[in-house]
Amino acid sequence: MGMDKLLVIGAALFCCGLYTILTRRNAVAVLMGVELILNAANVNFVAFSHYVSRVIGGQIFAVFVIVLAAAEAAVALAIFLRLYATTGTVEVDTADELKG
Amino acid sequence: MPLGNLASVSRFLPELAVTATILLLVAVHVVGKNRQSSASALLSLAGVGAALLLTALQPSMPAVSLFEGMVALDGFAVFFKALTALATIVVIFMSMDSAELSGKSQAEYYVFLLSVLLGMFLLSSATDLVMLYLSLELVSIPSYLLAGYLKGRKSSNEASMKYVVYGATASGVMIYGFSLLYGLTGTTQIAEIGRALATGKAALPLFLAAVMVAVGFGYKIAAVPFHMWSPDVYEGAPTPVTAFLSVGPKAAGFAVLVRFFYTVFASPDGAGGPWTLSSPVDWTLLFAVLSAATMTVGNLVAVNQKNVKRLLAYSSIAHAGYMLMGFVLLTPAGIQAILFYLVVYLFMNLGAFYVVILVANGTRSEDISDYAGLGSRAPFAAVSLAIFLFALTGIPPFSGFIGKVYLFAEVINRGVYWLAVVAALNSVVSLYYYARIVKVMFLEEPAEKAELAVPAFPRALLCLLAVPTLLLGVYWEPVIRVAANSVRLLAF
Amino acid sequence: MLTEFATVLVFIVLGAVTVALMLGVSRLLQPRDQTAVKLSTYECGEVPFGSSWVQFNIRFYVIALIFIVFDVEVALLYPWAVIFQRLGLLAFVEALVFIVILMAGLAYVWKEGDLDWVRAMQENPAGKGGK
Repeated sequence: MGMDKLLVIGAALFCCGLYTILTRRNAVAVLMGVELILNAANVNFVAFSHYVSRVIGGQIFAVFVIVLAAAEAAVALAIFLRLYATTGTVEVDTADELKG
Repeated sequence: MPLGNLASVSRFLPELAVTATILLLVAVHVVGKNRQSSASALLSLAGVGAALLLTALQPSMPAVSLFEGMVALDGFAVFFKALTALATIVVIFMSMDSAELSGKSQAEYYVFLLSVLLGMFLLSSATDLVMLYLSLELVSIPSYLLAGYLKGRKSSNEASMKYVVYGATASGVMIYGFSLLYGLTGTTQIAEIGRALATGKAALPLFLAAVMVAVGFGYKIAAVPFHMWSPDVYEGAPTPVTAFLSVGPKAAGFAVLVRFFYTVFASPDGAGGPWTLSSPVDWTLLFAVLSAATMTVGNLVAVNQKNVKRLLAYSSIAHAGYMLMGFVLLTPAGIQAILFYLVVYLFMNLGAFYVVILVANGTRSEDISDYAGLGSRAPFAAVSLAIFLFALTGIPPFSGFIGKVYLFAEVINRGVYWLAVVAALNSVVSLYYYARIVKVMFLEEPAEKAELAVPAFPRALLCLLAVPTLLLGVYWEPVIRVAANSVRLLAF
Repeated sequence: MLTEFATVLVFIVLGAVTVALMLGVSRLLQPRDQTAVKLSTYECGEVPFGSSWVQFNIRFYVIALIFIVFDVEVALLYPWAVIFQRLGLLAFVEALVFIVILMAGLAYVWKEGDLDWVRAMQENPAGKGGK
């Protein structure tokens, strides 16, 4: 498989992620979109690391992205859980206590 | 030549001090019985104080690269470390006085606060994409938790949710931009990326990458159009946290913005600038437009605000706009003006938020209408707030004026007249809404006449914030010299 | 540079047209006899009852969140473990520092009682159903 194909996969994942973020109103779904974007970046990193750089930097980067994505997801889910406990919903736009 | 891991440790002491304090806080919390005591606050104060001292003692000359090129130790990084540590100390004092936070478990709060501080230390000195991403997340993730620290309060939870949704998206887009940069150059070191890009590369992917990275950084400094989160987060978060977010991460965001763009998309003409654009993408124009948009949106929306915290949120967006003016000029004087402005901004903004906390402790309200008659109910707090607000407006002889003079002078010096005109008009708009609060405080009759007590300790701290705000308006020479010496980015 | 943007524009237009076309064709072709049976969740199977948004016991989430965090840290230790012998003592000490910091987190979780399933169950009685 050539680098081009991997990059297309990465770009497609990125677009899917962005589309999810922009269209879904459920906070958990938005988070899933973010995960797609992060994995798109990971695909890019690993592909570039193999075909362009030939040093391992990109793969290490991908590992860090995975770890941070997990940390971020854990924190985000904890926050959504708390929000659900106080408001009974995790819809992004029904939360309108703050505006103006 | 980058130092190895072991050799770097002795130049990494401020960061180690903060890390050790975080671990100690956790240990004390695990072992200790009393959850309500102020032990955590005092321990954090000691830790951050030690870090500040170590930063000041650290020799930043000559600039070195640490940990195999992961972070830089240069005048620029030292400046931002000192700035953010100072802001954190003030915020710890503010948190101890805040009624919102009292009765809550303290250890976690300070662990998050210090984690953000550690992240800001690393963010202002990171010279590798991996380190940059890691430190940005280290600033962001505990900030989300801090914003939602008042678990029972609906608005705090909502603020936290909005923060995490926007933040995760921005950092995701940024990391995709990083991956493109890595693909174009085959390295994660920003200095090497800059060199590789200077030899000419495809313009379109580079443009995409620059915009994507700008999304991530723009979000951190709350520049339009990535500012949507900040009014909601600032209003919903506990006030000490709001004060912290409006100064600390914003300053660190500027640090990384300058270091990254001036290394990757520009090359210095000598040690310490001026810089020339080295990429086919004219990002300075892009950011000049963003700067104008940021200050205009911030100021115009601030005019109609009824909640003080929300008003200060929009005002801090506007101030990010002013500071961005210095960023687009590619001159040492521009950076120097940003650094000086950040120092001034630290005192006046933290001061304004501190008064908000003290008033809210007494009235349980953050509405501007409840500030009516504050001039007679709590004259000390009211006069201090007036000082901070006039400084934020940029009226002489307050320090905000000097900060603006340096920014404007360099913008005009470089011939970007349209930006100077926009900024001047914006300052006039800002006078309206800042002065409105002052008018409400001194000229309107209060609904309740009872005196608002401000204890002695907060008074002292208010003085400590108000004195530099006034003093830097008449005697700013030492600070501007420090700022001038700090415009030294590590080039390797 | 401009011609490259033209490529992007063509790409965007083509993408939009394709999506519109596919959605349009499916709208034209799809049968539209929506009876009650057709609209049910499982057309030929169990009749679902209650809301699917049942509130699970909060303990599941907490344990899962803690698990995620400690689980992915292994991702950082694998590359280290593979070449551990070549890296020497310094890398070993560095990995130890990393693990000690993680242990502080574990100690915190333990002390807070988040690993303590039985006691926590008594504090938060399970499954109250959806709101």
